[in-house]
Amino acid sequence: MPTPVIDIDSLTKVYPRQIGQPARRSLDDLRLRIGENEIFGFLGQNGAGKTTTIKILCSLLRPTKGAASVCGHDVRTRAARSCIGYLPENPYFYEYLTPRETIDFYGRLQGLDKATRAREWDALSERLDLRGIGAQRIRGFSKGMRQRLGFAVALVGDPPVLILDEPMSGLDPLGRRMIRELILSLRAAGKTIFFSSHVLGDVEQICDRVGILVEGRLRTQGRIDELLNRRNEQVELVVSGLSAETADALARDALHARRSEAGLHLTTADAAAANAMARAALSEGGQIVEFTPIRESLEAYFVKEQAS
Amino acid sequence: MTGKILAVAQNTFRESVRDKVLYVLLFFAATAILGSKALGWISIGQDIKIVKDISLSAISVFGVLIAIFVGTNLVYKEVDKRTIYTILSRPLHRFEFILGKYLGLAALLGVVTISMAVVAAAYVLTLGGTVDTTFAIAVALTYVELLLITAFSVLLSTAASPILGALVVFSIYVVGHATNILIDLPPHFDDTFARRVMELVYYILPNLSNLNVRAEAANEVAVAWAYVGWATAYGLFYTAVVLALAALAFEDKDV
Ligand SMILES: Nc1ncnc2c1ncn2[C@@H]1O[C@H](COP(=O)(O)OP(=O)(O)O)[C@@H](O)[C@H]1O
Ligand SMILES: [Mg+2]
Repeated sequence: MPTPVIDIDSLTKVYPRQIGQPARRSLDDLRLRIGENEIFGFLGQNGAGKTTTIKILCSLLRPTKGAASVCGHDVRTRAARSCIGYLPENPYFYEYLTPRETIDFYGRLQGLDKATRAREWDALSERLDLRGIGAQRIRGFSKGMRQRLGFAVALVGDPPVLILDEPMSGLDPLGRRMIRELILSLRAAGKTIFFSSHVLGDVEQICDRVGILVEGRLRTQGRIDELLNRRNEQVELVVSGLSAETADALARDALHARRSEAGLHLTTADAAAANAMARAALSEGGQIVEFTPIRESLEAYFVKEQAS
Repeated sequence: MTGKILAVAQNTFRESVRDKVLYVLLFFAATAILGSKALGWISIGQDIKIVKDISLSAISVFGVLIAIFVGTNLVYKEVDKRTIYTILSRPLHRFEFILGKYLGLAALLGVVTISMAVVAAAYVLTLGGTVDTTFAIAVALTYVELLLITAFSVLLSTAASPILGALVVFSIYVVGHATNILIDLPPHFDDTFARRVMELVYYILPNLSNLNVRAEAANEVAVAWAYVGWATAYGLFYTAVVLALAALAFEDKDV
């Protein structure tokens, strides 16, 4: 991999002992590298340590051991922070401000001048559909409105790296879709995106690579199709118009066979076997109705990983 | 850099203006100032003096209560309500955040002090008294005292809950006005551990009576400018040290 945009080097975080709670190792020797313009999905169940990792990247927490850098700057520096747009798990803002004032405030913290801040509002309110609520106080906002505002705040100053903590949790299907499309459009604009989730569907649809965190340790990481081992996957073949003898013969060669309205369903070990079986069926006067690779879902993989 | 501090300060000012505690305390302060005449009637001819004395004390006490109640919440609330996540993840130093929070409340207390002083002065004038330089100096030094108490409140706010913080800062205020009790101990304390602790506290705590010329103002006695300069420098130096401690305490804190 060329120089990583996010480089996490054996991060360990032990939360100190508190009254009624022992010390807790929430992150254990985490190593991860995220390349430029990647969408990286950071997966794990609740309590796995995703937020802890993200808070270290945004210098809200200090690691107990290890280090991390963003765009080549140690995460403790302001230079690193100026590269990062951060969306917290549930973003909280000053309730008595309006979205417009909020964007202006974060623009000032980013060091933008007045004219630039006005332009930021124009662009971001358009992009995140905040125009209509620009002058309302945040106090009465719904989860979806807050999330959109949170995204707008993360994008203030056009940072090259976006770190999003559960950006789709708690949103309705429309809201999730909007966020998904936004993430894809950010990637198209050259951004690097690191986002955490425990919702696999969202990750599967948009991520280039994923990492799976289990109890503070990285269980696996890689491209989704590599993780799911899609090269030698099973294939289900549906054939119709075969004589009873041919059907029985093919069924004996398949891993699985069953009949339905559509015809004979044959499961084969891989694509090559399926092709051979299809040729045999065609030469016997049958028809191929369906040819479907059976993909292991990320969900099934995730469950397997959690259990092992 | 100043732009970022100013952004935080302006927001803090805006937020504090909305704090109901402020108005409750201002109400009591106004009551104390305007009700002070009632105590004045017993001592005929002394009423202006008593009105000035009570008014200036009210500015100090209620100003301090505002500094404590609002101040000990400042940083704590940002952490508790998680508004701090999106702020500290921006390219600003943590000390800029602390300084901004501090200056926002300091500005509010400036407005509060001036308002209370104007009400007190107007009341004195309607009663036929005069408002002299010493009165203004007493108000200004009271403000320096508030700046120092606010710094302590912000320091506690980075490390403790508002209730604990308020107790500690209030103790500092009370003991700081009577630091002599810490060393004027009865003889049987000689060479005890308690005495050494008390002495240590005596040297650490600011002597707030240095900033108190309210009796002089009530009696319309002049105060030397050299003293005013020295007392101001003393108060501001202490304030700077306490603020530096607050920034230090906050620098590596997990939020
Ligand atoms: N401030 C804290 N103090 C003590 N323990 C914490 C703190 N924050 C998180 N934890 C613990 O660390 C673990 C990881 O939490 P977190 O990073 O929030 O997980 P995730 O975001 O993956 O749900 C959890 O077991 C949680 O209880
Ligand atoms: Mg989390």
